[in-house]
Amino acid sequence: MTRTPLRPLARILPARAKGENPDAIERENIRQRHAEMQDRARVRAEGRLLVLGLFFFCAFIVVGGRMALMAVSEPEEPVASTHGAAIAAQRADITDREGRILATNFETHSLYAQPPELVDPVAAASGLVRIFPDLDEARLIRDLSGKRKFVWIKRRISPEQKQAVHDLGDPGLMFGPREMRLYPNGKLAAHVLGGAGFGREGVNAAEVIGVAGVEKQFDEYLRDPANGAQPLTLALDLTVQAAAEQVLAGGMKLMNAKGASSILMDVHTGEVISVVSLPDFDPNDRPRPPVSGDPSDSPLFNRAVQGVYELGSTFKIFTAAQAIDLGLVSAETIIDTSGPMRVSGYPIGEFHNKNYGKLSVADVIMHSSNRGTGRLALEIGPERQKAFLGALGMFDPTPFEIVEARGGQPLVPERWTDLSTVTISYGHGLSTSPMHLAAGYAAIANGGHYVSPTILKRDGPQHGPRVLSEGAAADARRMLRRVVTGGTASLGEVPGYAVGGKTGTADKPRPQGGYYKDKVIATFASIFPSHDPKYVLVVTLDEPSIQAYDEERRTAGWTAVPVAAELIGRVAPLLGLRPDVEPGPRAAITLTSN
Amino acid sequence: MSYLEYRVKSTPSGLRKVLYLNWPLALLLISVAGVGVLMLYSVAGGSFSPWAEPQIKRFALGFAVMLTVAMVPIWFWRNMAALAYGLSVILLIGVELFGSVGMGAQRWIDLGFMRLQPSELTKITLVMLLAAYYDWLPAERTSRPLWVLLPVLFILIPTALVLKQPDLGTSILLLAAGGAVMFLAGVHWAYFAAVIAAGIGLVTAVFESRGTPWQMLKDYQYRRIDTFLDPGSDPLGAGYHITQSKIALGSGGWAGRGFMQGTQSRLNFLPEKHTDFIFTTLAEEFGFIGGISLLTLYALIILFCIASALGARDRFSSLVTLGIAVTFFLFFAVNMSMVMGLAPVVGVPLPMVSYGGSAMLVLMAAFGIVQSAHVHRPRGSH
Repeated sequence: MTRTPLRPLARILPARAKGENPDAIERENIRQRHAEMQDRARVRAEGRLLVLGLFFFCAFIVVGGRMALMAVSEPEEPVASTHGAAIAAQRADITDREGRILATNFETHSLYAQPPELVDPVAAASGLVRIFPDLDEARLIRDLSGKRKFVWIKRRISPEQKQAVHDLGDPGLMFGPREMRLYPNGKLAAHVLGGAGFGREGVNAAEVIGVAGVEKQFDEYLRDPANGAQPLTLALDLTVQAAAEQVLAGGMKLMNAKGASSILMDVHTGEVISVVSLPDFDPNDRPRPPVSGDPSDSPLFNRAVQGVYELGSTFKIFTAAQAIDLGLVSAETIIDTSGPMRVSGYPIGEFHNKNYGKLSVADVIMHSSNRGTGRLALEIGPERQKAFLGALGMFDPTPFEIVEARGGQPLVPERWTDLSTVTISYGHGLSTSPMHLAAGYAAIANGGHYVSPTILKRDGPQHGPRVLSEGAAADARRMLRRVVTGGTASLGEVPGYAVGGKTGTADKPRPQGGYYKDKVIATFASIFPSHDPKYVLVVTLDEPSIQAYDEERRTAGWTAVPVAAELIGRVAPLLGLRPDVEPGPRAAITLTSN
Repeated sequence: MSYLEYRVKSTPSGLRKVLYLNWPLALLLISVAGVGVLMLYSVAGGSFSPWAEPQIKRFALGFAVMLTVAMVPIWFWRNMAALAYGLSVILLIGVELFGSVGMGAQRWIDLGFMRLQPSELTKITLVMLLAAYYDWLPAERTSRPLWVLLPVLFILIPTALVLKQPDLGTSILLLAAGGAVMFLAGVHWAYFAAVIAAGIGLVTAVFESRGTPWQMLKDYQYRRIDTFLDPGSDPLGAGYHITQSKIALGSGGWAGRGFMQGTQSRLNFLPEKHTDFIFTTLAEEFGFIGGISLLTLYALIILFCIASALGARDRFSSLVTLGIAVTFFLFFAVNMSMVMGLAPVVGVPLPMVSYGGSAMLVLMAAFGIVQSAHVHRPRGSH
């Protein structure tokens, strides 16, 4: 940087020569230098100011831009993700086919204590005992005044109890939120729903896990947060289920039975619209499994699914249908049902030792002739009979999506002899659940396709492999109808709903072998309306017994059939079935009044 | 020494000074304060108590303070700068020793009629001292290391004291404002580059040390940073403020829900709704238009300060005006960024709008100095 000297001799000397004051030159130069420095400083300052201004500008753009962005964004509530969320996740609801709630969640509280925080452990303990009389005061005092840092007091308390504990005012008593399963309909569909209990338990949350029924079967789905709490939709219809339970409970009482079950199933989709097993229980307060006695007497036992029984004469229709399907006979073929008849040395008898003589196949079914059915079965032979019953699913565990169904394992004879063939043809020697029977009848009702029963709502027909020809199934349906119009199930007629069906009365086996003389399982398997069946209904009564016409009656025709008829009369309107008169055989000439 | 002699004779004197006040600036301040009163009225559920009425009184007092300060010649304030700075540092130490604790931090000195927050005062006295220092320092020495070290010390002493209270927001403001004045004074850019590089290095070191035995911050401080970077991770805990204010801003939309219609702030979802987070109420009730209008008012205040600084004929006047403008800018920029989730929550009020005595009075006094510089600059021919 070149500096201008303050007193340049080149200017001072001429000035002196002129007699001017040289100090003026110095003053002028100083002023000039200051002006230069000031200018430089100002240029620099203005540059810096420009940088700062740019920074301000950018900041305004950023803040304003952000403001605009946030203004256009949708206000969105944040989804809470707190610790413990892993087990606090909401369990999905369970609904019936119309979306009505069968199982949902309910917020309640657990009660625990942190003894170090307690003001007065003894007072707290006595206060708690006043609220919860089932607590042991001495033990509570010991726990609360001991060295423990954490004591569970109650796993679930009601809001009133919570308030009462709150009013004790001790800061060491604390509440943890508890989500619990609620079945708002109480006992309704108890066996299907099963129940839920607590798995891992924390202070802030407890895991709700299914312990039985669909709750356990679909536990993973219900707990999976990925489903977005999408409810599990069952095939059940709440109103039909309620009506069925009411009618069946009444029927069970009337028939002096110790247990009962019913299954109402859509023959095309396999959807189980209603399934009842009595006695039942409240899934909100699921009883503990019995430790002694027969587990099948427990209310927890699902007779419709778990119970395997010899279902008796209801099986006869399978034999007849198969024989027609194979072309061995037609519905009009005459069978000699007269006795005596022996197979492998065992006599085959009829109910009350009747002798029906020569009967058509349709009349064999109508009168429920054991010998007639046995003869048909011998024509069919063991192999074909076994294959047919296998195709109907009679040897597999109960096909139904609740955990208990796995226990419904049919009892199949080890060796399938000719005698087995004959007894099985009329429903003895093979034990299956009522659900198996319903699936078999559905195949007849829907025109010959196997359908697997399901508890889940389906969108349309679920026809499985064909097991019967269309014609054989139609013949079988007509035979079933005749059983009601003129046979053993005459009490099953429901005006407007042409019911077809077959009764079955099987003596109960003794645990020590042989059969009881006075204990039966009475079953009525029915289809309706029989000319175009939509539903199959299986009603089973355990040990029914009534007095009618001065005689003790146990047969299905006297017990299960009237209950089923009442049930159909009640639920058919709920199912949206229009009552109509069964179209009779068409007359060749139509008579008119003119 | 100053390059310019004050030409006392060319500056207005007496009551004539009132005519030479920067009236547009004063009007802008009044309108911003008006917005503040409006918001406090709304936040209180349509009531002047408990916040709007004291705020009006304080603003009136502050306006009087501003006028008084403006009447006093700027060279008096230049001469007082060192004294004011010394006094505020002593007060900061006094807070450390005798102050009362509020909100987990020691910030107040109770003067009886009002509670003084010395850290607020320091924001202005520091700017004054630095402006006076560069006014006195010959320009050629500005970038010499020893002459750079001295103002750095001036900045660091109060910053450290404020940080110890602890008040992270104010200490950041002090650092930034002091640095800005040094930058404007013409300190060589290499110093700033070095400081920024060191800062980046320090931040890296702080994060790298996390989880190791040499961890430099406490766990909760790391958590705060985490929350800032991702408020969604803890919406009910540390991220609560930000998440709620984002909901409020989002629900405001373009035109807002209308005056007194804000639910987010009225229903007490927001803590500190009348102080640091008052902007959310504005944004919810008046929407983007309201928010951008307030931002524009602030920007105009800054612009008038810059214009005034450009017209100043001496270094102190221009530096103190710009320094105060920078401080003011930092106030609202940090507050708005914080509310909008652009910056961590550090507890900086929205200037002239948030409820609070010290900050308002000190800011009005500062604008008094800006006005004084404006009034007392040489006018006419020179």
